[in-house]
Amino acid sequence: MVSAGDATTQFFEELRKRQHEPRLRGATGTYRFELVDGKKVDRWLVAFSKGDVTVSRRGGAADCVVRADRALFNRLASGELNGVAAALRGEFEAEGDWRLLVLFQRLFPGKARSAAKRSRAGYSRRTG
Amino acid sequence: MNDGLVKILDGNTFVVSDANGDIEASLTDPTGLFSFDTRFLSKWVLTVNGQRLGSLSVDDLQYYEARFFLVPGTGTVYIDAKLSVIRRRSVGNGFHEELTILNHSDKPVSLTVRIDAGSDFADLFEVKDALQKKGTYTARVQRGKHLVLGYERETFRRSTSISATAPARFDKDGLTFKIRIAPQGEWKTDLEVDTVQPGPRRGQEQRRDPRRANLAMQRNLQRWIEEAPRVECDWDPLKTTYRRSLVDLAALRFSPPIAGGRSLPAAGLPWFMTMFGRDSIFTSLQALPFTPELAATTLGALGNWQGSRLDDFRDEDPGRILHEMRYGEMTAFEERPHSPYYGAVDATPLYVVLLDEYERWTGDRKLVRDLEHEARAALNWIDEYADLQGTGYIWYRRRNEETGLENQCWKDSWDSISFRDGRLPGFPRATCELQGYAYDAKVRGARLARDIWKDRDLADRLEKDAADLKRRFNRDFWVEDGEYFTLALDPDGNQVDALASNNGHLLWSGIVDKSKAKAVAQHLLGPRLFSGWGVRTLAEGEGRYNPIGYHVGTVWPFDNSFVAWGLRRYGFKDEAAQVAAGILDAAEFFEGRLPEAFGGYEREQTKYPVQYPTACSPQAWSTGTPLLLLRTMLGLEPQGEHLVVDPALPTSIGLLALLDLPGRWGRIDAFGRGRVDVGRRRPVRR
Repeated sequence: MVSAGDATTQFFEELRKRQHEPRLRGATGTYRFELVDGKKVDRWLVAFSKGDVTVSRRGGAADCVVRADRALFNRLASGELNGVAAALRGEFEAEGDWRLLVLFQRLFPGKARSAAKRSRAGYSRRTG
Repeated sequence: MNDGLVKILDGNTFVVSDANGDIEASLTDPTGLFSFDTRFLSKWVLTVNGQRLGSLSVDDLQYYEARFFLVPGTGTVYIDAKLSVIRRRSVGNGFHEELTILNHSDKPVSLTVRIDAGSDFADLFEVKDALQKKGTYTARVQRGKHLVLGYERETFRRSTSISATAPARFDKDGLTFKIRIAPQGEWKTDLEVDTVQPGPRRGQEQRRDPRRANLAMQRNLQRWIEEAPRVECDWDPLKTTYRRSLVDLAALRFSPPIAGGRSLPAAGLPWFMTMFGRDSIFTSLQALPFTPELAATTLGALGNWQGSRLDDFRDEDPGRILHEMRYGEMTAFEERPHSPYYGAVDATPLYVVLLDEYERWTGDRKLVRDLEHEARAALNWIDEYADLQGTGYIWYRRRNEETGLENQCWKDSWDSISFRDGRLPGFPRATCELQGYAYDAKVRGARLARDIWKDRDLADRLEKDAADLKRRFNRDFWVEDGEYFTLALDPDGNQVDALASNNGHLLWSGIVDKSKAKAVAQHLLGPRLFSGWGVRTLAEGEGRYNPIGYHVGTVWPFDNSFVAWGLRRYGFKDEAAQVAAGILDAAEFFEGRLPEAFGGYEREQTKYPVQYPTACSPQAWSTGTPLLLLRTMLGLEPQGEHLVVDPALPTSIGLLALLDLPGRWGRIDAFGRGRVDVGRRRPVRR
């Protein structure tokens, strides 16, 4: 079932490549994701420090632990499901610092008909 | 309590019952135990020997606890006054109820005491809209010691656990005590009702020992009042109003799960005990000179929830500040968009305004640095996402056409934005006050960029943009033949030309050309807008004017507090004092608790302010109103490390002292003496 190219893997690999993520500048801490696929548990450890991000496949202690079905996480990572609504429905387990969780869900895409974004002002210090 | 209901709460957990302490709710009936927008108990009825009880009196001890004195029998004549029943209830993780029965006779009594319990687990939205549930219910007795009521819909689970300290027989519909009380004796039990729901673990201690929790809340309220500045005043009603505001503001505090125990002002009690972008920001601004920590929590929490992507269902854009957050079933299943919902266009510029104002008072540069990304994203949103027409203004049109909000400004009812002749414009709409907020956000953002983020390029750009916006706005929104600012622009750029209180917010924002300010002030204090109590939302004579129309003629205290601030900003001190005097006079009629809105009738005509019927009281920004009026009357303004005091008070107030105002200066006192005669309507001077 686990394919290297699924939305989950892509999501974490892209995050790893990004190295810096300004949207999570305020989220200094570590997250452990335990993604369950039948009997197999896939682990990702994500650490943020002032927006700098490292992604690894290790286990280890974390400020925030999320345990979810991989199929569910695929849908979160692709923007098909909204993370907050899924949490309210109790579709996955989460423990630890809820503020960190709220910040993390910023990274999931949303659903929109039109990408109306125009690039004009660009007030952010770092872009892209 | 004027509806006969007794309400107690802590944050977003609250209990609404009748005067006996009983709850017997139908789906649409707004009584019950609620927490995180779910009803956890819809039935809680006490009987003694099969008989309902009658109420002798109710003590609202504090906002989080009440005591009910009862006797058997429900008629006007007491059937058996030989027994007294006392229910003392306080909110915790659910609620705690101490039930005491006193036997006043000289003979022992045997009694069957019964509590019927049940829950429909309705979402608040279902209670409002009378919708039917889609999940399944369970009720089970655990080890003979707990009754657990449950609700399940797919993975969504909520339950209520009921237990008692005295021996009881539990069944699926409640619990029964068979007791015997000695002559002149008493019997007591503690009942615990716990809500079980996902979320960060809450104080275990609180769960185990309700009495300690109660004591902690008592201390917390005491500290809140002790730490706030003190008001000394010749005019007693102002002291009453101030005290009422402080206690109500304490009750309105809400700790979102992400705020680590710190609180922000929720919008209203009890149905709006949640985070609202606009309400939390306006209330934080009003309370800033008194309790700056509310602003800090508001900025942090709203920053954490800031929009990060385009999402049509939630009307979310990157950088946008949320409108409303809810946690119930309908939100969970996306039958409502509040997870969170972003359909407000004023909250985002106001976020930057609050951040700057907060730093000016407190000197807390660290928070401004911590929220740099969020503030920049908010400024970015104004230009990149809010300008739907590409004309350099903030516009709104919902993308969620089913459950989103049509009017995304503070006057959010369907008919609030109209032409003089009463016609309603199409969408998108650009209401005037939004442009003022955007201007202010840019000016203040420039200061933060220059002084704290050390980004001169950004500061220069924002200042240039602000100046350009101000120039265009004073051209495009100015109604030449009326000499005021139009309420809005319609999609074709036409002026939606009704005269409304929004003009006062424009003064507050600073976007108004000096040359136009006098005419605007004259309108605000003129007979069409000013009722004698305050400035009406819509001017008398407009097509849709109605003195008891929600946003089309009533007087909103909160609106007036910002109008007064705006008048002061442009030097109209006496006029600001006049508005403050009217609203504070009205507060006296409401025993210090200003309602959300009251009728726009002429003061001379009714002699007292006619309350607009609303389900929510106290309302946060009405509670904050007296605080902001104190600020504007004393002319408090931080300048550098100092606080400037420049009083202009109505004579009726006499001597006013505000003691121990917190801020970057430590603690400071401010004094003023009433010299402005507001007894008669004067022409606006400068």
